[in-house]
Amino acid sequence: MPEKILVVDDDPDMRDAITIILESRGYQIVTAQDGVEALANLKAEKPDLMMLDLLMPKMDGFAVMKELQDARWAKYREIPILILSSVREEASRRRYELETALTLEVDDYVEKPIAPDILLERVEKLLQKRKKPES
Amino acid sequence: MRWIAIGCVLVASLLATQVFNIHFSLLPIYIIVAIMAWYNLILFIQARDLKTEAGESRPKGLVVPLQLPLRRLLMLPKATSPLVAQARAIGNLHIFLDLLVLTVLLHFTGGIENPFIFYFVFHVIIAGILLHYRVAYVVASVAILLVLLLVGLEYNGVIPHVHLEGFIFVNRYEQGTYVLGILVALATCLYAAAYMVTNLSRELRRQQRELVSLKDSAIREKTKDLREATKELTKLEEGRKHLLRFLGVVAHDLKAPLSAVQSYLQLMTGGFAGEMTDKQKHMLERSSTRITEQLHLISDLLDISRIEAGQMITEFEKVSLSQTVRDSLDNVRGLAKEKKIVLKVERPRTLPQIKASGARLQQVMTNLLANAIKFTPEKGVVRLRIRNRASDIQVEVMDTGIGIAAEDLTKIFDDFYRGIEPTKEGTGLGLSIAKRIVEAHGGRIWAESPNPDDESARGSRFTFTLPKNFVPVGKK
Repeated sequence: MPEKILVVDDDPDMRDAITIILESRGYQIVTAQDGVEALANLKAEKPDLMMLDLLMPKMDGFAVMKELQDARWAKYREIPILILSSVREEASRRRYELETALTLEVDDYVEKPIAPDILLERVEKLLQKRKKPES
Repeated sequence: MRWIAIGCVLVASLLATQVFNIHFSLLPIYIIVAIMAWYNLILFIQARDLKTEAGESRPKGLVVPLQLPLRRLLMLPKATSPLVAQARAIGNLHIFLDLLVLTVLLHFTGGIENPFIFYFVFHVIIAGILLHYRVAYVVASVAILLVLLLVGLEYNGVIPHVHLEGFIFVNRYEQGTYVLGILVALATCLYAAAYMVTNLSRELRRQQRELVSLKDSAIREKTKDLREATKELTKLEEGRKHLLRFLGVVAHDLKAPLSAVQSYLQLMTGGFAGEMTDKQKHMLERSSTRITEQLHLISDLLDISRIEAGQMITEFEKVSLSQTVRDSLDNVRGLAKEKKIVLKVERPRTLPQIKASGARLQQVMTNLLANAIKFTPEKGVVRLRIRNRASDIQVEVMDTGIGIAAEDLTKIFDDFYRGIEPTKEGTGLGLSIAKRIVEAHGGRIWAESPNPDDESARGSRFTFTLPKNFVPVGKK
């Protein structure tokens, strides 16, 4: 069964582009256009990985990350998250680290614009990392 | 003062009786002195409590009821506070008690015969200095009335006269003209004293009041200035925050569409949307390159705006320089590998933590290293040397590239400067941003070419310094 990936981005073209790249490798894709939808889909679809844009209207990526640290979301904590960030936006990365008290490893984020090969490489790495502790 | 007066009464009485052989009974004097000491003590304590407890919840005792009719009588201005009222009441009561005591004392020490009868002048002076000027006149009048009463009663034989034996004629108190003369002299003396003292003290008080009001208005003025300056600062600070928020939105909104376009372009060139002719592929690749340049230009322009809006100050924190150096090297390792360039690092084993914007310092180091790699031919060497000096950290980036023309050296830190023969790549803003960042940390940045440290005089050397104890200007 193919792995399911939740793609969260407010830009429809970005969602489209990412979907095309990931579907080319046979991943099953679910999308959401803001944080509220993302959390709803996280519950309903139980994806294997979530790709999360930081700057979005309604509920942004920072708020989603904060919400997930709450005890209610404990069983979703195992789901790896790949952060989508803008090119050289050090400020947004810094804000992420300040607001979530989590440090972003290089493997945990992809820069926009999305380079297809880099995106696929990151996704694969994160999915493998997730599989390892289970086996 | 009053304690000295009491002491003097005792000493004078003893001297008079013992040394000058003036005879009069000492017993009433002792009694009077004791009474004086007693009420002096009580009022003294009350006045002291007034100061220490600020008059709060003190029983007002007998002082205030006495005060009220006196104030009405003299139409004295109402006291500005209960504290002042009480202080005045104590002062007034005290002075009238003193008058009474001196009169009684005089009675037992010869009445009109006693030259100390003129000592009433001191009461007038004290009242004039310490109390309201009308009180001074009342004191003078009461003193005269009391003396009049005393000598009058003695003159008419209503109360017995105490004679100072061995000092003056026995019947002096019965000589009308003498008594009258003394009384007139005393009255004029007291009133004149009251007039002079009150005038003097009124003038003094007026000056004091003027001084105080002047000082008050100066303080008010200063406070107002300060408040306005603070308001202005807050407004500026809000303006800055607003601008930074605005720039954040601009950054996102300018880049988002380009990012989407770029992502599609890369999909197509990556073959995710079907096969293309070589010509189509080439065009899309060129488009992609141009969009990447545009994205970098936007990032650079926004960087400059943010730095100039003072964003870096909000990012200042304790930064581990070792970590910054490691991260910067990580950033360029890929580039170096592509060109088979060797990265040589000379640094002390430990580097101090300094107050800085870690992200921005990393940006400067990465920029200098990337430039060095860019301008060094394949298989060359790029050196990074860090020195921990007494007051600053010195960072040097040295390449073995083509070097920089002398006329370019001074201009390469200018905005949009790309050299005499402009290179195709880059926005021409990298070094000007680096300069802004270094200067915001209180440091200096400069370039030398050829590298003075290179034995075969090749390449160039970029150096920047970071003071260890830099205090950024502006609000945290």
